[in-house]
Amino acid sequence: MAQPVPNILVVEDDRETRTLIAKYLRTNACNVTTATDGREMARAMTDHRVDLLILDVMLPGEDGLSLCRKVRAESQTPIIMLTARGEDVDRILGLEMGADDYLAKPFNPRELLARINAVLRRQAAAQTASTTEGATALGFAGFRIDLRLRELRDPDGARVAMTSAEFDLLRTLCERPGRVLSRDSLLDLTQGRNAGSFERSIDVLVSRIRRKIEPDPLEPTMIKTVRSGGYMFTPRVEPVKS
Amino acid sequence: MKFFGFLDLRGISGQIAALVVASIVALHLIITASFLIHRPDQPDPSFDRGHAQLAAAAQLLEAAAASDRPRLMADIARAFPLLGIASIAPGVTPAAGEPDGVNLHGLHRRLGNGYRIFALPHDGEIRRLGLVLPDGAMISANILPEPRRPPFLGGPWMMTLLFAVISVTLLGLWAARALTAPLSSFAKAAESFSLDGAAAPLPERGPEEIRSVAKALNRMRERITGLIDDRTRMLAAISHDLRTPITRMRLRSEFIEDETHRSRMLGDLDQMRSMLESVLSFLRNDRKLEAMTLVDIASTLQLVTDQFGDMGCKVSYDGPPHAMATVRPDDLLRSVTNLVENAVRFGAEATIRLHTSPEQVTIDVEDDGPGISDAQKNNMLEPFVRGDDARNMDEASGFGLGLSIANAIVLAHGGALSLHDRQPHGLVVRIQLPVRQQVERSAA
Repeated sequence: MAQPVPNILVVEDDRETRTLIAKYLRTNACNVTTATDGREMARAMTDHRVDLLILDVMLPGEDGLSLCRKVRAESQTPIIMLTARGEDVDRILGLEMGADDYLAKPFNPRELLARINAVLRRQAAAQTASTTEGATALGFAGFRIDLRLRELRDPDGARVAMTSAEFDLLRTLCERPGRVLSRDSLLDLTQGRNAGSFERSIDVLVSRIRRKIEPDPLEPTMIKTVRSGGYMFTPRVEPVKS
Repeated sequence: MKFFGFLDLRGISGQIAALVVASIVALHLIITASFLIHRPDQPDPSFDRGHAQLAAAAQLLEAAAASDRPRLMADIARAFPLLGIASIAPGVTPAAGEPDGVNLHGLHRRLGNGYRIFALPHDGEIRRLGLVLPDGAMISANILPEPRRPPFLGGPWMMTLLFAVISVTLLGLWAARALTAPLSSFAKAAESFSLDGAAAPLPERGPEEIRSVAKALNRMRERITGLIDDRTRMLAAISHDLRTPITRMRLRSEFIEDETHRSRMLGDLDQMRSMLESVLSFLRNDRKLEAMTLVDIASTLQLVTDQFGDMGCKVSYDGPPHAMATVRPDDLLRSVTNLVENAVRFGAEATIRLHTSPEQVTIDVEDDGPGISDAQKNNMLEPFVRGDDARNMDEASGFGLGLSIANAIVLAHGGALSLHDRQPHGLVVRIQLPVRQQVERSAA
């Protein structure tokens, strides 16, 4: 599946940082426009199409969090927030404002790229998902995935620690229950072809997820291996009121 | 409220003194009043009894001339019929000893020297005694029973004294309790009183002395936490500002053509980034804490294991596949990550062990490195102390904050962090956390 070149808008007030991010992303097959603050961002978004927004939290004038909330109120444009503070409170706050992901400075540019790809993949995939459109949380076999806060809770209500990549894969599986998904398509859906070897392989991720959610990881009943080289998520999935 | 200049009722001594005085005065007034109401008309009984009559008679007879004595004697016998006074004919030898079994103290006191009392043989029921006057004449009289002196339970003064003793004792006990109650609650509050602003201020209650101490301590704490907050803010601002140039350099590194330069640059930048992270996270521990929530901590430890494994380090997890505890999830992740970071720096292999019991959760991070001497163990938990004494930064060893951050996080959970030796060599860092609610699920 040919991947269209995404149009990314970078909103960052530090000139050097802004230029460097733009240059890096352009080197990696993205169309990039830049803005210094909320006003320029609004103008850019009306001028042309924006597939993904990279938004710094600390901005002059209106701050990134409130801009995020405004954008989210009007559209489903994916938003990745960059912050210089890195406090966990900010992370959760950013996600509650409607950001799709959150990265603390100084960040590894490759990780930014990987997250951009992951978010774009999720966006594209969400359009083909059936029962779960618009839900902020999904439930299966007593577990609960909070799509907004990016948290998994087990049937006892305990939080299960997961990496970003594990969470994305589990989410992708949950959004397509009962369907056989090949490794390639899972890779495509979660990371995109540009990710390269930055992320772990699908098999490793699946085995780690199994260790965390299966009653017996050695005899998996939830994530079943399919003989033809893929996986299937078997439990019934329902949207859950957040 | 000052009554007299010295009796300051706001202080401890003033309160005690006022209470004692007030209650004694009140009691005395009550008792005297009730006594006066009940017995105002009884004559003084003391003169009818005892040796007062005999003493008065003896003194009168002594003072009278010999010729007047018989008539005086008759008058006395008429006036005091119970006394049975009579003269003894001269020529009778007085006995040697005083009558025994009788308390003649009062008689001796009234008569003074010059008189001698002697015993007379028993005459039926009534006992008599003989008295030798200073001029030699002898008289005899009945021994009237000395009234039993009401031992101190007599008039109102004695009652008051007794009640005063009882009430002062009770008052003392009450005062001790009433005054030590704020003192001991003050002492208890002072024990949990800490300078980090998290604990409640000392109660400013009770007597003046305690209030002023509490006020002074509270003010001192405010000043100190203000100072600490200022420094923290300054350090945080500096570290925060460093993120921007580091971000730029990190981005620019992506465009360095020379592979060697690029990877060295990335290494240095990574070291700077982790030092920054550790300082900021160290400072963060003084401020708002993450919320406690129920977490499957086995999954957290497995996550750390996986992350380090992905970076090529030999780290393994040994413990149950699931273990629930109420903790701060990101803080716990950070502290275990710090410990494993140290472990893989000093040793070739690291193991994370988890052991659960109904009261607590034990997480051990073991490495097979050189270990730490006992003398050093206490030092290591202090911030900015590194394993090697030489301050060389070649090994990307950071600021030496990892252990102290982990320790602070564990302490904030109400737990404990300790260092132990591993056989044959190496270090075990043990985290013990109390569990409010904990369930261990085993694999089906």
